[in-house]
Amino acid sequence: MNDSVLDAPGLSRRGLLKVGLMGTAFLATAGLTASLTGCSASTPANGFAILRDSDLPFLKALIPVMLAGAVKPEQMPAAIDGTLQNLDYSLNRLSPEMLKLTVQLFDVLAMAVTRGPLTGIWGSWENASADDIRHFLDRWQNSSLSLLRMGHSSLLQLVMMGWYGRPEAWAHCGYPGPPKI
Amino acid sequence: MPVPDLFAEGLARGWKTYNGSRLDQDLTLEADVAIVGTGAGGGTTAEILSAAGYKVLLIEEGPLKTSSDFKMQEAEAYPSLYQEGIGRMSKDGAITIMQGRAVGGTTLVNWTSSFRTPEPTLEHWAKEHNVKGHSPAEMAPWFEKMEQRLGVAPWIMPPNVNNDIIRLGCEKLGYHWKVIPRNVRGCWNLGYCGMGCPTNAKQSMLVTTIPATLEKGGELLYLARADKLLIDGDKVTGIQCQAMDERCVAPTGRTITVKAKHYVLSGGGINTPAILMRSDAPDPHKRAGKRTFIHLVNFSAAQFEQVVNPFYGAPQSIYSDHFQWDHGTTGRMSFKLEVPPLQPALTATLLGRFGEDNALRMEQLPHTNAMLALLRDGFHPESAEGTVELRGDGSPVLDYQMTDYTWDGVRRAFHTMAEIQFAAGAKSVLPLHADAGYVKTLGEAKSLIDGLSLEIYRTRLGSAHVMGGCAMGEDPSQAVTDSLGRHHQLGNLSIHDGSLFPTSIGANPQLSVYGLTAQLASQLAERLRTA
Repeated sequence: MNDSVLDAPGLSRRGLLKVGLMGTAFLATAGLTASLTGCSASTPANGFAILRDSDLPFLKALIPVMLAGAVKPEQMPAAIDGTLQNLDYSLNRLSPEMLKLTVQLFDVLAMAVTRGPLTGIWGSWENASADDIRHFLDRWQNSSLSLLRMGHSSLLQLVMMGWYGRPEAWAHCGYPGPPKI
Repeated sequence: MPVPDLFAEGLARGWKTYNGSRLDQDLTLEADVAIVGTGAGGGTTAEILSAAGYKVLLIEEGPLKTSSDFKMQEAEAYPSLYQEGIGRMSKDGAITIMQGRAVGGTTLVNWTSSFRTPEPTLEHWAKEHNVKGHSPAEMAPWFEKMEQRLGVAPWIMPPNVNNDIIRLGCEKLGYHWKVIPRNVRGCWNLGYCGMGCPTNAKQSMLVTTIPATLEKGGELLYLARADKLLIDGDKVTGIQCQAMDERCVAPTGRTITVKAKHYVLSGGGINTPAILMRSDAPDPHKRAGKRTFIHLVNFSAAQFEQVVNPFYGAPQSIYSDHFQWDHGTTGRMSFKLEVPPLQPALTATLLGRFGEDNALRMEQLPHTNAMLALLRDGFHPESAEGTVELRGDGSPVLDYQMTDYTWDGVRRAFHTMAEIQFAAGAKSVLPLHADAGYVKTLGEAKSLIDGLSLEIYRTRLGSAHVMGGCAMGEDPSQAVTDSLGRHHQLGNLSIHDGSLFPTSIGANPQLSVYGLTAQLASQLAERLRTA
């Protein structure tokens, strides 16, 4: 499946790139800007400064796929929680413009109207298989749309930095931590 | 606490500082000279002017963090001490740009490498960019002065294994290599320079020029972002600053107005052009923000039988300039070879991929080396170059456009790094590119590299040196300031930072900024005296 939903007349690739705001661009293509205004919540989820309830399903589906091989299955739930904590901490310190871009990326992944067409995951994130997720990541990495390639790169960096900044991640990579001084 | 916190002790003795995040009312501050930015240029300028008897006010957008705050933890240091919470990247998101954002600027988080501006660079500026008074002979005493001031000397301890790999490989191949001079005194050889030096060994502005300034009665305003210059005709009449919250993310709503006789911008590349643009400063030839360069970086990882532990030890101690000037100053894209330190969070994002692939790479971290190539952009007309733009909220972003000329340098750098790593005994090498896996022979590396599609996102690119955007030069149609750092259109405004460079430097830039701004500040002190 290609990204034909985005071949809407008048919205060229160049146009999309110029807009530079992922969520707005995709919503505009879907002709749903007006009806979806205010749809994405901005209140943080319980225990978080930035991450919202709407962000958690896709992150909880994505993180175990990204950390597969680095974390034992029985430790994965704790690793997901830890990664979410670190991710939230860094998001809470991003510049407003970078946070805006990241939140728009998250909105595109969270909202059914954009998720299906862009990731190929039409059902809920809870029901997405690891293969479904790998396919979506592969599709974004090789997309003809630079916004999706940028989104792919962002997701990898955010999750990897989040996990490997935590001491629990270090046994796997043989890092004893900073010296005691 | 391993060492006394010198800055905290100074504060206890009465150094005058203002914490923007704590203001509950707007504030007006006055000084003889107001300096925006506390990095290499701002610190150097402040020390010289305050020693000459001027009342100096330093203005820093970032937080004040000192040695007792530095815990050598990536998760804490990156969001706290780096621009945009380490979120700063090129406009297309392809290049992560590491720049400091705290008292001390990028000198607080750099890896201590200190090189004089290469002679070919200075000569190129004189010849092609109408720069006067900065020949190698004229600059030498200023480099000397700042080398003395900041303890710059070739690193005396043995290089860690990560760095020694450059030496071993270059020796085998007959390539140039040398020991890197570092601005440290009593360094413990820990390797956490990038997270703030916990022992005060790194001679950053935080522990040298800023304390000297504050001792002399200078003042420091931090967590205050210089938003706009207030301009009346050809004079700056004030700086309007936004107080920032303690995370340095959101303005608190309080403003600080600064009034001075002379104003100096030392925010560095990207930031200084942004101030001029937000202020609608006169710019008849549209030069502000143009010709911003970044020493674009690409990387190569390698696995060794022996233990490397690339996360410990002085991060940079060996370099090679073998491919920096071999085609002259303006031939094909050239590069300087060094290594980055590999603490886990940064490494995980460098090594690429996810899941099993990334896990296998990270598992070998203790046996992993990485090399980087600093591409010398800005010398050739076909070099990649950047332009600073303002985003919706007035904050800057760098639009850096790649070119074939530059990609050619990237590919050759991949080849060279692989060659050196195998010559040093690597079992396998991994050019850092989405389509590359570890390969076991140089022959395989060559085929792999020749076949890579060199495009953004797929190629891991970075930058830790932002230069240019407010070029100096005698021709106002090309430059924002003259060769003395004086703004061409505004009489009481100077720029003293790396944004003055007409091209990239061709070496880690801090000493270039120290030397140049020491000269400019000394000349400014003299001009103010006779004004």
